[in-house]
Formats: sequence, C-alpha cells, structure tokens
Amino acid sequence: MNRSIALLAPLCLGLGLTLPVFAQEDEFQTVITPAFSPVTWERLINAEDEPENWMMYSGTLDSQRYSRLDQIDKSNVAELEMKWSYQIPVIDRAETVPTVVDGIMFITEAPSNLTAVDARTGRVYWRYDHELPDDLRICCGRNNRGVAILGETLFMSTLDAHLVAIDARTGNVLWDTEVADYEAGYSKTAAPLIVKDKVVTGIAGGEFGIRGFIDAYDPASGELEWRTYAIPGSGEPGNDSWSGDSWKTGGAATWLTGSYDPDLNLIYWGTGNPGPDWNGDVRLGDNLYSDSALALDGDTGEIAWHFQFTPHDVHDYDSIQVPILADIEYQGSTRKVMMWANRNAFFYTIDRVTGEFLEGDAYASQTWAQGLDPNGRPIRVPGMAPTYEGILVSPPIVGATNWYSPGYSQQTGLFYVTSFDGEQEFFKRDEDYEEGERFTGGGGRYNQPMDAFHSSIRAINPATAQIEWEFPIMPRSSAGITTTAGGIVFTGSADGYFFALDAATGEELWHISLGARVHAAPMTYAVDGKQFVTIASGNVVYTFGLKDN
Amino acid sequence: MSSISTQIKHLLAIAICGTLFAASGGNAEDAGNLYNTRFDINAGLKYFERQCSRCHGFDAKGNDETGAPDLTGRLSRASSDVGIFNIIRTGVPGTAMLPVAADLPDSQVWQLVAYIGSLSTDPANIDLPGSVVAGARLFANKGDCNSCHMIDGQGGRLGPDLSRIGERRNPEELLTDILDPHQEVAPRWWTMRVTDSEGITREGLRMNEDSFSLRIMDAESNLWSYPKRQLASIERVEESTMPSYTQILSDSEVDDLVAYLFSLRKEN
Ligand code: HEC
Ligand code: HEC
Repeated sequence: MNRSIALLAPLCLGLGLTLPVFAQEDEFQTVITPAFSPVTWERLINAEDEPENWMMYSGTLDSQRYSRLDQIDKSNVAELEMKWSYQIPVIDRAETVPTVVDGIMFITEAPSNLTAVDARTGRVYWRYDHELPDDLRICCGRNNRGVAILGETLFMSTLDAHLVAIDARTGNVLWDTEVADYEAGYSKTAAPLIVKDKVVTGIAGGEFGIRGFIDAYDPASGELEWRTYAIPGSGEPGNDSWSGDSWKTGGAATWLTGSYDPDLNLIYWGTGNPGPDWNGDVRLGDNLYSDSALALDGDTGEIAWHFQFTPHDVHDYDSIQVPILADIEYQGSTRKVMMWANRNAFFYTIDRVTGEFLEGDAYASQTWAQGLDPNGRPIRVPGMAPTYEGILVSPPIVGATNWYSPGYSQQTGLFYVTSFDGEQEFFKRDEDYEEGERFTGGGGRYNQPMDAFHSSIRAINPATAQIEWEFPIMPRSSAGITTTAGGIVFTGSADGYFFALDAATGEELWHISLGARVHAAPMTYAVDGKQFVTIASGNVVYTFGLKDN
Repeated sequence: MSSISTQIKHLLAIAICGTLFAASGGNAEDAGNLYNTRFDINAGLKYFERQCSRCHGFDAKGNDETGAPDLTGRLSRASSDVGIFNIIRTGVPGTAMLPVAADLPDSQVWQLVAYIGSLSTDPANIDLPGSVVAGARLFANKGDCNSCHMIDGQGGRLGPDLSRIGERRNPEELLTDILDPHQEVAPRWWTMRVTDSEGITREGLRMNEDSFSLRIMDAESNLWSYPKRQLASIERVEESTMPSYTQILSDSEVDDLVAYLFSLRKEN
C-alpha cells in the first residue's frame, strides 16, 4: 500500500512517465464504464425497459417513479451500505434528482450548475457553472431539480430563466436561450421534459405577478417552437374568469415537470396559484387555468382539456405536483387515469383521455372545503378566505403536499404521497403590482410549533381515493418517493433520514440517518449489474448499494 | 521560424500602442487580484456606474469637461493592477480624482480594478491586423480547428470550447496558443495512456484524475473511468495534442485567426 503511493507520487512531476501500478485483489470488478450511447426518443418512450438507467426527472414519461430493478428487495434492503457520496460545492439545499445514462450520472446543483460523475464511484468527469446575474428574483431558494436528456445533449433550467443545452460528454454549452426576463420576476428550477423532438419546460415566478406558460424548444437550436399560456389572453375562452386586467399578472406558474402519454399524444402539466396569492378581491372569478391540470397536444401545445382543482384559490394551493399516469382497474374496466394528490389536501383520479373526474377525497387534514361535488369541484366552507386580521385554515400555505414527487407501484397498484397535516393563520394585504417585485397580497403564520403537526407517507388506492396505510414521520417532510419491483417504497424525511418501507403494508424495512433534511426524491439505477439507490440530503448526494462479495 | 518572431513583434507593437496587456495580462500581477471573476467585474461595473461614471463617463472613455481620462486604453499613472488599486484607494493628489471612501472594503476596490482591467481587453479598444471574417473561414476550413474545438455548439470535443475565448486570452496569448501549443497545457488536456490488467491499452484526454481513479475521453469522445489499482500501467503525457501551425498557416492567416478568436465573447 505504502509502496504504491510512493510510486504514484512522481507522476505529478514527470512528463510522459510510465509507471507500473500493481494490480491487487480487490472488490472492484474490471472497470470500464461503457461510453453512453445517444438517448433516442425511442429509448425515452421505453425507459421502463432499461431500469438500469434513470433517464428523466420522474424516471419514465408516465412519472410513476416505479423501477423494475429488484436486486434490492424487502429481504436484503436492511443490508444497504453507503457506496459513495458527492458534496455539492455551492452550499444551498439540494433538490436534485440525478439522471443516469449508461453508467454516467448527471447532478444539478445550486445555484444553476451541473456535474457529470461516474455513477459507480461519484467521481467527476466535468462540471458546468452557469453564470448568474447578482440581482435574481427568486422566491424560494437557489436550487435546481434536474436535467432532461435527448441524444447527447442535456437540457437544464437556470435561475435567470434561461434554458441551456449542454453537451453530455464534455459539459460544453451548445446553446443558451432566454425563456423569460428574470428582472420581471421569472425564474426556472425544474427539469424540462422531452416530448418527441422538443424540449418542454415551464416557468416559475408565481409570487411576482407573472403570466405562466409552458414552452417547447427545438433541441438543436434552442428556438421556441410553441408557447401555451396558462392564463388565456383577452378574447380567448376562460379569460372572462378574471376580473378586469387581473389576468395579466395572474401568476399560474408552471414550475415543475409534467408527464406525457405517447399513445394519446398528450402532455400533462400542473399550474400554480393565481396572483396575488392571498388576496382574491382583485381577481374575482375562477381564475383559469390557475391551480389546474392542463392536457396539451404533444405537437402544438394546444390545450385539449383542463381540470381546475381549486377555482379562485386564495390559499396558494398550487397544483404544482407531478401528474402520475397509469392504467388501472376502475369499476370493472381498465381506465387510463391520471392520479393527483393536490396541495389542497384532496386526492383525485381523473380520466386522462377526457379530463373527466372519477374519484376524489381528502387525504390529509383540511378545513376549507366540505368535499368535492360530482364533477370534482370543491364545495367551499364559507368564510375561510384570508382576512386582514388572520383566519385559521388547514392545510397551511405549504399545503398537504407540494412539489415533491409522489410515486406509484405497479406491484401494489397504490399511489404514495408525502403528506402534511397542518394549519396556519392566513391573512391578506392590499398590494399593488410592480414589475419584478413580490406580489402576494398577504401571507400566513403558524400558531403552533412545527412538531405539533404531523407528516406521513400515505398509500392511496386510486380506484377508491381511500388511504390504505400510513407511516408517520416528523413534520414537515419535503422528500419525494420512489418505488421498486423489489416491493419497496424509498423516501426521506425532514429530520434527515433516508428509509425504506414495504410498499404493500407500510412497514419500515430500513432507515439511515444522513444528518440533514431530505429535500429531493430518491432514484435507482444499476451499473455492471449492481443496483444502487441515490438520494440528496442537505448538500450531499449519497449512493447506497448492497455489499459486494 | 522568422515568421513567429515577426508575428510577436508585430503584436507587441499593437499591445504597446493600443492596449494594456502588461497591466492586466501578466500572470504575476493577476495573482495580486483575487477578485477578478465575471461576478467581480460586474460588481465593479455597478460601483463604477454609481461613483465614477459622472466624471469618467458610463463607457469609461473619459470626459474633457471634467478632465477625467479614458480608462479603456493604456493608463498613464498605472501599469499594473496594484497601481490601479492605489490610484483608486488614494486618489491623485491635487486633482479631482479623490480617494474612495476610506471604509470601502479592499475587496470592492479590487472589483473596480477588475472592471477597469476588463475594459482594456475590450475588443472595441483593440485594433488587430487580421480579419475576423477570414479567421472564421480558416477556423472551419484550412485550419480544421473545428474538428477539435467547439464554438457555440458546433465542432469537436478534443480541445477546449472556444465560444468565449476572447474573454480569457489576449491576442498575444492566442498567438502562442496557435504557434506553440505545448507552452502551456492545462492538466485537463494532458493525455493519459492506460493499460489494464488484461493488457488492453486505451488513450484519452485527462478529464479528471484523483488519488484512486482517473477518467479519460478517447478520440471517439467515449468516456472511461478507471480505478488506478486495476491498471497495469499509467502513462501521462503533459503535452498538447494540438499541432503547431507555424508550418501550416501563413503569418496573415494566423493574424486572421487571432482576430477571429479574440472576437469570441458572450453575446451582448
Ligand atoms: C470628480 C471626478 C472624478 C471622479 C468621481 C472619479 N475620477 Fe478618476 N480621475 C479623475 C481625474 C480628473 C483623473 C486624472 C487625474 C490626473 O492624473 O491628473 C482621474 C484619474 C483616474 C485614474 C488614473 C487614470 C490614468 O490614466 O492613470 C483612474 C484609474 C481612475 N481615475 C479611476 C476612478 C475610479 C475607479 C473612480 C470611482 C471610484 C473615479 N476614478 C472617480 C476624476 C474623477
Ligand atoms: C487535434 C486537435 C486540435 C486541433 C486540430 C486544434 N486544436 Fe487548439 N487545442 C487543442 C487542445 C487539446 C488544446 C488544449 C491544450 C493546449 O493548450 O494546447 C488546444 C488549445 C487551443 C487554444 C487555447 C485554449 C484555451 O482555453 O486556452 C486555442 C486558442 C486553440 N487551441 C486554437 C486552435 C486553432 C485556431 C486551431 C486551428 C488552427 C486549433 N486550435 C486546432 C486541440 C486542437
């Protein structure tokens, strides 16, 4: 051991030195990371069939976050050990879900950087540091959730509201397109979604009176192909659901990643709160299409249908969740559905062909609605809108869930969500819109310590919208969920644990303390036939695997 | 070989009459200013606009009325970063050029220095003999530079991305890059030749090397990652894979390439 170190030292000095390095018996197999082959659209459609790779934010286009890998299963998950960790150099919170293609992992980092590492060792190939202006308008921290890949190009959102294309082999910038003007309050944090030959992406800025949209870009040139506004313009149907000119600053940001159904050629995307968030007096009406699910034509971006979860929202109940698509047995037949646990505390099963509401019920504590009517529209409890003095409402502003990914298991047919039972005093303020300034019209405050509330992982049966089991954890978790063919639900907690539950029963199988809040979703992949599970906690990306032998 | 020295003389002449290479390009001096990232330059610019532009102008080109000189070319009172720092810190006694507030942190003064330094390599302030258009053509055709280098997403992966090379290298340095590539080779561009325990040898550019492992990109731009313990031999060639163009291109062609490369910057 000492000898080989001594021999390696001269390497630093010499020019073209040849050195013998003693091969030793060790746990490494012959290690050659195969160069990755281009990620075609065909590969992305069939991503489920190559579970060794995790080729997009939600794993597959239907966003189930279900992996067919089963080497790690219920019987051996308790033997997981850490294989490597990667420290993100710029300190902030890591919300990244890494992407893995053929043994190479791409990790997005705060503020808007990107690193390629060997997925087996976590050691760096290259990094890309995105230059940012120093006067960013961002509501909620400097972070980035992941990339999309097509061919040999990675696509990443940046905090200054750009979309950049990066060469996956070198980290070179291929193009850098301004999606919107950051000085007007726009920013970007979400992983884009590849739809056929386009890069589809949303926008953040719902607390700055923006007008949300969903865009599609040409992957080769970075040119805008289509833009669909999440708020209809004047003269368009739905524009009259806003009083006066309020639609112009109505928010409806689109700050997360959507899903796609190749058979129906429909893109599904969530939209955020209407603005100003907590003062609805200045924007009377339903405020379409805020707090909605939009189904868009995969080629043109035209809206095929919409489903509004929270008409005229005054509590910031963003519908910024990842839509999960699955075909399920429902009342005696197979239905193509979209499942959605909303920030407003209701779970919905919706026919994704037509947008028809099938099932729904509250899955977390809530006091703002009596229930859902037969069309899925909430029946409001009167007098729950924010007041100047403040009024107690559940769920609180952060919601019964939020952006963190839910999961679905093809084995159990259950939908899993990180949920929060809390309440908050909501108050409103009168506020004028000023470009680039916050435009929220109020706020909220907790009237109890956080530990008085409850978080849990809940498993919901989409055919009935009823909870099958729940696993309580300390509040308020913002970790996403991944399920595997090993019968496992992987997720994390606010107090820094990464853990595994039995997908069928919710029984705890394994946990490890990572020491800092888990603000991201796990993902799983394999290299050289070995399965790994990766999760970001604090500022570190950890990778676990079974013991080699 | 005379062509190189004529070239260099030629460029030095340009440097002396129109620019500030000596002030901002010298590595020893650069080490003195730790605040010279793009971010710092930008911070310096902001401060300059607020506090200095009323005399020196928003474009820093000076103003006859106030007597404040042009700061974009060669300065008369400073030839180094430290010199500029001292002028800003202490002012020019007996003139309108007053010192900055005593409590302004050194770091902010350095940012101003970085900003002023950045002006001197502003292409608008430098008159180069070559033609940018001809250089762009040579880059893609006769020079075949784009088989290794990328510019704005087009080109090869076997050399550094040159999309913004004009921000990093001055004309003199670019000339050396083209005529004498071995002079300065960043470790990222060394070549590693490795043979594994089965006797298979692979060669590639050194993307990253650490105590226990190394990663290379081969000529087909495949990425490989090795634990060192698995390798029977590791050879490191600290030379450039870029050929020298002294024999291949004429003086004026090199001028054109330098002019072109120097023009490559972040748009707007
Ligand atoms: C009130 C007008 C005024 C302001 C404000 C001012 N300057 Fe000056 N500056 C001058 C004048 C006049 C000179 C020329 C002094 C001389 O050499 O006679 C000068 C000279 C200089 C020089 C030396 C130029 C050379 O060629 O050697 C530098 C560098 C400089 N200023 C930087 C700054 C910076 C940086 C600021 C802002 C922090 C600033 N100045 C603000 C008037 C001003
Ligand atoms: C065989 C591949 C290859 C070709 C062809 C090639 N280069 Fe290079 N070039 C490199 C490599 C590798 C480096 C980095 C090592 C070094 O500094 O020499 C480099 C470095 C450079 C640099 C310095 C870049 C920096 O970041 O400091 C410039 C400028 C440059 N080349 C210009 C050119 C021009 C102009 C041509 C065509 C006339 C050319 N190169 C042709 C491989 C190549």
